[in-house]
Amino acid sequence: MAMTLSQKRQTFSVFRYAILTVWLCIVAFPMFWMVGTSFKPDREWFSWPPVYITENATLRNYAIVWANINEYTKADGAHIDPKTGELSQYTQSLQRPWTALRNSTIIAGLATTLAVIFGSVLAYGVSRHQILSESRMFQLLMLRMVPPIVLIAPISLWYRQIGLLDTITGLVILYFLTSLPYAVWMSKSFIDEVPREMEQAAEILGASRWRTIWEVVLPLVRSGLVATFLFILILTWSEYLLALLLSKAEVLTLPVELSKYQGSTEGRVYGRQAALSVGITIPLVFVGLIIRKHLARGFSFGMVRR
Amino acid sequence: MSRIELKDLRKEFGNTVAVNDLNLTIEDGEFIVLVGPSGCGKTTTLRMIAGFEDPTSGQIELDGKIVNDLEPRDRDLGMVFQSHALFPHKNVADNIVFGLRMQNVGKEEQLKKLHEVSELVRISHLLTKMPGQCSGGESQRIALARTLVTEPSNFLLDEPLSSLDAKLRRELRAECDRLHAELQKTFVYVTHDQEEAMTLADRIVVMDLGEIVQMGSPIDIYSDPVSYFVADFFGNPAMNLIEGEFFKEGDGIEFRSDSFNVSVPASYNNMTPGKGTFGIRPENVNVSSSKGDGSRKIGLVEPLGKDTLLYFETTATRPFVAIVDGTESYSAGEPVELTFPDENMFLFDSNGDRIRS
Ligand SMILES: Nc1ncnc2c1ncn2[C@@H]1O[C@H](COP(=O)(O)OP(=O)(O)O)[C@@H](O)[C@H]1O
Ligand SMILES: [Mg+2]
Repeated sequence: MAMTLSQKRQTFSVFRYAILTVWLCIVAFPMFWMVGTSFKPDREWFSWPPVYITENATLRNYAIVWANINEYTKADGAHIDPKTGELSQYTQSLQRPWTALRNSTIIAGLATTLAVIFGSVLAYGVSRHQILSESRMFQLLMLRMVPPIVLIAPISLWYRQIGLLDTITGLVILYFLTSLPYAVWMSKSFIDEVPREMEQAAEILGASRWRTIWEVVLPLVRSGLVATFLFILILTWSEYLLALLLSKAEVLTLPVELSKYQGSTEGRVYGRQAALSVGITIPLVFVGLIIRKHLARGFSFGMVRR
Repeated sequence: MSRIELKDLRKEFGNTVAVNDLNLTIEDGEFIVLVGPSGCGKTTTLRMIAGFEDPTSGQIELDGKIVNDLEPRDRDLGMVFQSHALFPHKNVADNIVFGLRMQNVGKEEQLKKLHEVSELVRISHLLTKMPGQCSGGESQRIALARTLVTEPSNFLLDEPLSSLDAKLRRELRAECDRLHAELQKTFVYVTHDQEEAMTLADRIVVMDLGEIVQMGSPIDIYSDPVSYFVADFFGNPAMNLIEGEFFKEGDGIEFRSDSFNVSVPASYNNMTPGKGTFGIRPENVNVSSSKGDGSRKIGLVEPLGKDTLLYFETTATRPFVAIVDGTESYSAGEPVELTFPDENMFLFDSNGDRIRS
């Protein structure tokens, strides 16, 4: 029997939701596993058959990672290696998640804010006054295509010379510069959407250049800039390689901290890593929630009605 | 008192000459319409007056003052854009008072003017809506109100009605006329629609390829076009224009083409023979019942009520059109005689320039 048009539409829409659901499951599974593992006791981390939802949920991983408490902690707070009875090296290296969180917040927050501000100003200039030619814009993007590993040697040498190695400033500058191309490209795509005539209408009605930008351009690109901010924040927040190699001891960021959760004696301590990962993810989710009303509009890349 | 003067105004974009040494004086309170085909430089001219484009050379004077280097907001102009350019994130009332806010007009004064102007353009019921919720015609009125409320001496309008449907266009055209009559301000109005130009303008400026082809009152332009281009552009249905050749016949001149042979009036006897065009407006064609040779068969009859259009096949792509009174009855295939009154003939040479008697 032939289907009517509305039946066809319905079938299509069911099909589409089915695909989206499958896709969502695939994407969400690692997150589910991460959260699940963070509540599992040690023996369930890699038990077989796998434990999907633990019946022995515990906060132990969180306690150890974030509050630095476990059954081996002595009354005075020193850590004892359970096997040797000595003060443990590896537990000592695990003692700084809050420092890492603070560093990551400062570094990613500052670098992202700077990148979005400078990037959007630059993008405005490119969009409206062609301050960078088309080919310059592509060069800017190509710059970002250079694998970070190539930069490491010269930059760490140079950073050592000028005293930026292993400093917050050093990482902020580097993250700012590496995310600037994204910031310019993304915010330009939003600024391009604002018709010039809109600005000119404001201008001829008596608005100064700044007033025009403040009252007309900015409100129209706000969602776009917020989306750009989150995109870059995620990149800088989870950047690992540069942070690992340019910060030796002092400036530890969360991704680097995360990598340290493998003891020589115990192998990878998955539950602890998961507990830390959850902690790393929460701020991003939080930021996402605060700005969620902008995201749907911002990421649709076509917010301004002409 | 406000007078706009353009002196040798020129604008080039790379190799394109958009506006070619334009000279034009627009008097205070005049409704002037720049009209011409798409790409002839109307918008560019308007944008130079507004200050959004820098002229390549030449001068723009307002009240005798050169304003080339003045910012748009300092030129005492209001502009209505083709796209309306309403601010989508502000509601209608905020859109309208925007200009007043920029001029630091007090809150109470703003409200008073807002209500005055929304009465004037009849949008009082829309004030709390967002522009996205308004129709094309409403947006147009809002854009007008936003410009009117700041009371500039000159209004620049770039094809303000081109995005609307035919009925709305007629309605808002009448509105523009009314506003001009009420405000007594200078209007510079750009359009590619000859009908809009004819109905609105005190003076029409016909442009082509960045140059002014002809200036004058609508009736001047209609009855005395300087070229083939102007003759063809104005009038609906358009003037019948027949390509052919002028020959010397004894003392007189004879026009010959595939479809028509016409004896040119004696007043043209001094013209140079050669290729050219013969033109006659459809309403000037006399149609009478056929008697003998020279008769032509009506191809198509189109009754419009008051008038009836008769179409005749020719070798050219455009059919020959005659307008007759709606009360006369004709039918397709009927043979008729066409005659052209001497005083209504237009002759153009091979360059398209008008040949005068
Ligand atoms: N910003 C621009 N850059 C390059 N060429 C332009 C620009 N604006 C207009 N032109 C060219 O100038 C000519 C006149 O354009 P315009 O003034 O917009 O014509 P109109 O408004 O009469 O349709 C056209 O050939 C157009 O392509
Ligand atoms: Mg135009």
